[in-house]
Amino acid sequence: MISFDGVTVRYPRAAADAVASVSFAAERGMLTAVVGPNGSGKSTLVRSLLGRLPVQAGAILVDGQVAGGMHRRDLARKVAVVTQREELAFPVSVRDYVSLGRYAHRGLFSTEGVGDNAAVGGAMQSAGVDALALRSVDELSGGEWQRVRLARALAQETGAIVLDEPTTFLDIGHEMAVFELLHKLARGGLAILLVSHQLNLVARFADHIILLHRGKVAASGPPDQVMRAEILERVYEWPLVVARDPAVGAPALIPLRAARPIKGDGGV
Amino acid sequence: MKAARWWGLAALLVIAVVASVAVGTIAFSPSQIVRAVRGLGDPTTVFVVRFLRGPRALLAVLVGAGLGISGGALQGTLRNPLAEPYLLGVSGGAAVGAVLATLAGLPPGALPLAAFAGAILAVVVTFFVAHVSGARGDSRTLLMAGVVVGAFANAAIMLALANATPDTIRNAVWWMMGSVADASWSSVLVLLIYTALAGGFLVLLGRDIDALALGEDAAAGLGLNVDRSLRRIFLVASLVAAATVASAGLIGFVGLIVPHMARALGLTRARSQLLACALLGGILVVLADLAGRVAMPATEIPLGAITALVGVPFFLIKLRRLR
Amino acid sequence: MPFVFSCLSFGSLRSLRLSRSWRLSCLLLVAAVACRAAPGRVATLHDDFGRAITVGPVPRRIVSLNPTTTDILFAIGAGGRIVGRSEYDVWPDSAKLVPSLGGALRPSVEAVLRAKPDLVILYASADNRGAAAQLAQAGVPTVALRIDHLAQFRSATRLLGRIVGDSARAETVVDTVDASLDRLRVAARGLSRPTVFVPVWENPVITVGGGSFMTELLAIGGARNIYDSLTPPSAPVALEDVIRRNPDFVLATADQDSAILKSARWRALPAVRAGRLLAYDSNLFARPSVQMGMAAWAVARLVHPELRPR
Repeated sequence: MISFDGVTVRYPRAAADAVASVSFAAERGMLTAVVGPNGSGKSTLVRSLLGRLPVQAGAILVDGQVAGGMHRRDLARKVAVVTQREELAFPVSVRDYVSLGRYAHRGLFSTEGVGDNAAVGGAMQSAGVDALALRSVDELSGGEWQRVRLARALAQETGAIVLDEPTTFLDIGHEMAVFELLHKLARGGLAILLVSHQLNLVARFADHIILLHRGKVAASGPPDQVMRAEILERVYEWPLVVARDPAVGAPALIPLRAARPIKGDGGV
Repeated sequence: MKAARWWGLAALLVIAVVASVAVGTIAFSPSQIVRAVRGLGDPTTVFVVRFLRGPRALLAVLVGAGLGISGGALQGTLRNPLAEPYLLGVSGGAAVGAVLATLAGLPPGALPLAAFAGAILAVVVTFFVAHVSGARGDSRTLLMAGVVVGAFANAAIMLALANATPDTIRNAVWWMMGSVADASWSSVLVLLIYTALAGGFLVLLGRDIDALALGEDAAAGLGLNVDRSLRRIFLVASLVAAATVASAGLIGFVGLIVPHMARALGLTRARSQLLACALLGGILVVLADLAGRVAMPATEIPLGAITALVGVPFFLIKLRRLR
Repeated sequence: MPFVFSCLSFGSLRSLRLSRSWRLSCLLLVAAVACRAAPGRVATLHDDFGRAITVGPVPRRIVSLNPTTTDILFAIGAGGRIVGRSEYDVWPDSAKLVPSLGGALRPSVEAVLRAKPDLVILYASADNRGAAAQLAQAGVPTVALRIDHLAQFRSATRLLGRIVGDSARAETVVDTVDASLDRLRVAARGLSRPTVFVPVWENPVITVGGGSFMTELLAIGGARNIYDSLTPPSAPVALEDVIRRNPDFVLATADQDSAILKSARWRALPAVRAGRLLAYDSNLFARPSVQMGMAAWAVARLVHPELRPR
């Protein structure tokens, strides 16, 4: 659904590329995750998909069309993006906020129609926030706010949802809830592309992981293939072990204290 | 917002306009006003109502509406409750235009044109400075460019006035304090056209402003062409602000306060907020003009001074609420 | 006659803000018509806003918002017809009996209209353009005059004389002033011509310029204003420039006198250090009006002790 083909992006007046020749695809029905250390270029990919950064080489394709050449509105009908940060200066109600997701579907003169209302209602239900409809967004807890943001993306009625660090500042319970929801949506047919630094959660829920290191793809594949100690240690430059708990059924990364020497085996 | 509140605002505007026409060095009763509008009664009364206070009150309404909508659009777009219509160099540029026109001894009909030209030039330079600095559509760069242009304009005004005759300085300072005293039906018509067109355009773009409320990246994700929207909104908001400055000089605080009032009414969507800003702005400026005329007998306090006075308690109250 | 008629139209057309080609065609049309028009009592003069003045029936209710014109009106015998003045018009003393309508700049048009004038005289400064336009719109004949120096005083007095229908009296007023000044000119012949500095304001330093009647009166009395080359009636100057020009005398009013003597920076002027500070009566110089003869003699006597009566 969304594919990055040899994409190279460089910030203006920067010495090096932020991402170089990155290629991967996020398909429908799958939860694809992009992980990597800070500054590896994860958010850069999202911004270039949004058209906020120009692509120096390669192309970002959405359903086969080059994203950069598409009309903003058409792109928004195919891909919904939940960015890392939103700076709402003035509080609005949850319902008004979710209905912002309908922007791409409405013309200049049209007002809210039946279709819009249905989409907004359905989105709030899927995200589990319909009880919060009349609350003001500045009164919500961290977990509620994230789910409301997800509802807004759902109201956009797209084939793909891209999320940039959706679980920052959330506690374990809320993190799991968000990931469960994303997994459910992926199984429901959406293409979910996730940028996260929560390796362990990603390993649990993602179907496909792309590991970035200094702007390049260091590893790409299902969790078992990417979650290997040698690869991760090299990328994160920190001693760690990769363990597997039978109750969990997915590899888990455990960073070690700095005093210990680096061990090669993680028992994977 | 309930229909009742809208009607209430409209009624308040009408009352303010009627009061502005009724009160002054000579007070008129509503029946006298009605008769004077129809051309009946004492000729002086007819003239004062039809050609002095009438156009003056309407010009005040338009100035307030223009500044209110401009401020509302800018605060929503920039997500900054301290944004105001003169942000992108409008006031500085207009003042430079007016001062230079006064210095050059141009006929007084040229002053509004010079002010308007100065304002537009300043906005264009602001965009150019922002563009040259490399950021595309980044509102913070635009704001800083506006500050730079404004600072330059202030310097230019001081240079121009430093060695000017007392006459010129007096005229320039008076203009900068803002006034609707020279209102005529032609100036009302001109401002009406600008305000209606620009205001209508901004109200139509209300949905873009709603989307921009999420931040520029998120708005792009919603399907908005952020660069284009920002440019359009800034230009049109500055245009209507420039038109009000050309008509009435510098009138501060209106564009700053009115959007806060609109939000206090519980309006959340940009479209209704902007309409409320227009109504509230009109009411505010008409009443301020009225106060300026009656506060001190025999003289008028400039309109800009009154609106500045209103700004002080307003922000004090907001400060207290913040705590 | 046709030429003069065209000027009339041009003046009123200009106020309608028509484009150039329109004005030209209207002009030609009117000129053509005017050639056939019978010469009437309509005189065509212009005020200092460039607007045409029609001298019609004698005005009975005059509003004069200018100390000079109020003074002149009283001098030519029309004082009784003044129904409103500005707060600054306090000469002659009987002017104080006329109701004050407020300031001379940006006057309240409503207050003026309330006095129901058939003639309004304004000071021709850009501040008053708005009021002039509104009064004209109300159909009240308005004359804007700027009287800064002698020639303007003469023409304004004659103009006012014509308007109120007593040109002879106006001529007498002008002649009286001129006669006094001529006598002074003769008396000052052969006397020294010291240089003088006349400050109007201390912060910033503003001087009387060449465009002011005061400079002219000083020159007649045998003294030269060091800033007579400056065109405006008053202008800001730098104190250092004044020091460089080193005036022989400094003319100051009574209140300025003590301020200047006390201030350290003014003592940089040799004239101040040497005590060559001449105090003059500011009333005499408050406006370029009928008292100018006396005023000129007064300062001339200050500068030239020889002129003082034994």
